[in-house]
Amino acid sequence: MENTTSIEIRNLIKYFHEPETFQVLKGVSFTVNKGQFLSIVGKSGSGKSTLLYVLSTMDTDYEGTLQINGELLTGKTQNQLAAFRNEHIGFVFQFHYLLPEFSALQNVMLPALKLGKLSAEEIEHKAYESLRLLDLQGQELKNAKRLSGGQQQRVAIARALINSPSVIMGDEPTGNLDTKNSKAVQDIFKQLAHEYGQTIICVTHDPDFANNTDKIIEMKDGLIV
Amino acid sequence: MLKSNNIQIAKVHLTSKIWQTFVAVLGVTFGVSMYIFMNSFMNGVNKAQDDLAFRALAHVRIYNQDNKNDYNPIESQFDLSKTIINILNRKNIQYTSGLKNSSAIVSLVKKQPEVVAVSRQVNSSVFFRSGSKQVNGVVSGVELKSEDELYNTSLTVIQGEWNNLLKYKTGIILGKLLAERLGLQINNSINVLTSEGVSKNYIVVGIFESNLKTMDETKAYLNIMAARQLVGESSDYASDIMVNIKEKENTANYIQKIAPLVPFQVESWQEANEQLVAGSELRNIIAVAVSLTILLVAGFGIYNIMTMTINEKIKEIAILKALGFSGSDIMTIFITQAAVIGIFGALVGVILGYGISLLINMIPFTIAGMDTLPIFFQTKDFLFAVVFGILTTLIAGYLPSIKASKIDPVIIIRG
Repeated sequence: MENTTSIEIRNLIKYFHEPETFQVLKGVSFTVNKGQFLSIVGKSGSGKSTLLYVLSTMDTDYEGTLQINGELLTGKTQNQLAAFRNEHIGFVFQFHYLLPEFSALQNVMLPALKLGKLSAEEIEHKAYESLRLLDLQGQELKNAKRLSGGQQQRVAIARALINSPSVIMGDEPTGNLDTKNSKAVQDIFKQLAHEYGQTIICVTHDPDFANNTDKIIEMKDGLIV
Repeated sequence: MLKSNNIQIAKVHLTSKIWQTFVAVLGVTFGVSMYIFMNSFMNGVNKAQDDLAFRALAHVRIYNQDNKNDYNPIESQFDLSKTIINILNRKNIQYTSGLKNSSAIVSLVKKQPEVVAVSRQVNSSVFFRSGSKQVNGVVSGVELKSEDELYNTSLTVIQGEWNNLLKYKTGIILGKLLAERLGLQINNSINVLTSEGVSKNYIVVGIFESNLKTMDETKAYLNIMAARQLVGESSDYASDIMVNIKEKENTANYIQKIAPLVPFQVESWQEANEQLVAGSELRNIIAVAVSLTILLVAGFGIYNIMTMTINEKIKEIAILKALGFSGSDIMTIFITQAAVIGIFGALVGVILGYGISLLINMIPFTIAGMDTLPIFFQTKDFLFAVVFGILTTLIAGYLPSIKASKIDPVIIIRG
């Protein structure tokens, strides 16, 4: 059982203090298995994005515990968490968040260069490979800011995949994509989850996207419904 | 690998906004070049001032003058409380001024290793007379060779030759303005009258121009032997012994060593010319204050630019952190940028500062014997400018980079 659990949270409670103290998460607990493709849905204000940021390890201001791959992450320092994210978590944000002055290729390579497990040549090769997989051939050396929204989103996905993280998290990963591209991304995620055993958690508004996943967690007023 | 990655990011940041980088580099360049220029100029001014002043000033002067007025043989013999003393019309008895046995003192003084040159002089106030004109001034009997070592006097002789004083026993070299006032030219004769009433005739064998007005107006040189004859003193007599040492700032040290050995007054140039020391010190303080201000202002400029850059890149920093870059990675990125700006700016600043100084050195300035504005380069100014320029930039980059390293990614990504 132990080795199939990817993410485990226990009794997660989180407050916002501004503009006034407000309890966003009211004791959330669940487990995600390895290779599961999971979506979190709910109305805005339900706490689903907040939950994702806690899962992402970027938000450390919460009560309760968070474990990923059996490692307790609650209480670690920012730098330890950064190193953990680098190796084990890939992100796809709603507004792609590429570094605008870097080329698509450089954007994809950055997390791997930071990890430093492969040589620069190997990383470059891998980055070309995954950009091709995402149908971005010929765009590799363009500056990120010169790409279209859909292209940028796919570069961001390639970046999330470069270190072969065990967990991929997305905040509306298809929010800026048309139906065709959205479908393509969903297929990639599905493939990653089922063939490579990577855990995927996405916050989404899109009911089609949610229905395409293995499991749906619906949030309402800070609790899982 | 990891390091080079951060440096790569710094490089992209620096090159993608090349204009901003250029302005930041320019800030450092300006500070460093102005520092070098200001200091080289001040050094030049100080040096020119010193050159001028030490044309007539030795580092140490040994002389013998009656400066005691308190000798009172009667009062010292009686108990003052019981005696009424009334001395009418008290006069000082004659005091033998000057140094009778000057060669002994010269050899004593020369023994110190820091001594560069020693020269004896016989100075006397006189009247210069030519026809109906009469001007009072000073005649200075000098040892030609050592006097020249001390002051480079031979270079100031504009007509005739310094060594003419050796060739002609009755030769005299006059200050330029003195000769003009008396209406004298080379080979004319001049009458000199001492305060003792001795009158002698000399032949003008040279005219000097020191650019010190008081000297050019009142001074004349004789051979020391001729001067001893004029004042009626023995062949070992000197009124002053002038000593130059290796470092003119170190007179106090030297005086401490020789003062106990010499039974006369020993005076440093600093004591005799406090205004000169004060002027030079004040100029130095101004130079340091102005140039530090320039460097500081440049530093603030860089601080602003770095802070601006970081504020602009706050989103990117958050992304990098989300991707797993640590706080120290972020700091490395921004400090690398600061270092590149600092080093590049400082190097260009050195070249620019040197160039500006050379240009200033070409501006004509023909007062007091100078041709152009004075510039004097010192290696330590260049080193200090470079070190301070780079250091200021690093500090200016370090402070905002701490802020950058503490950025919480979730706040920015949440929007």
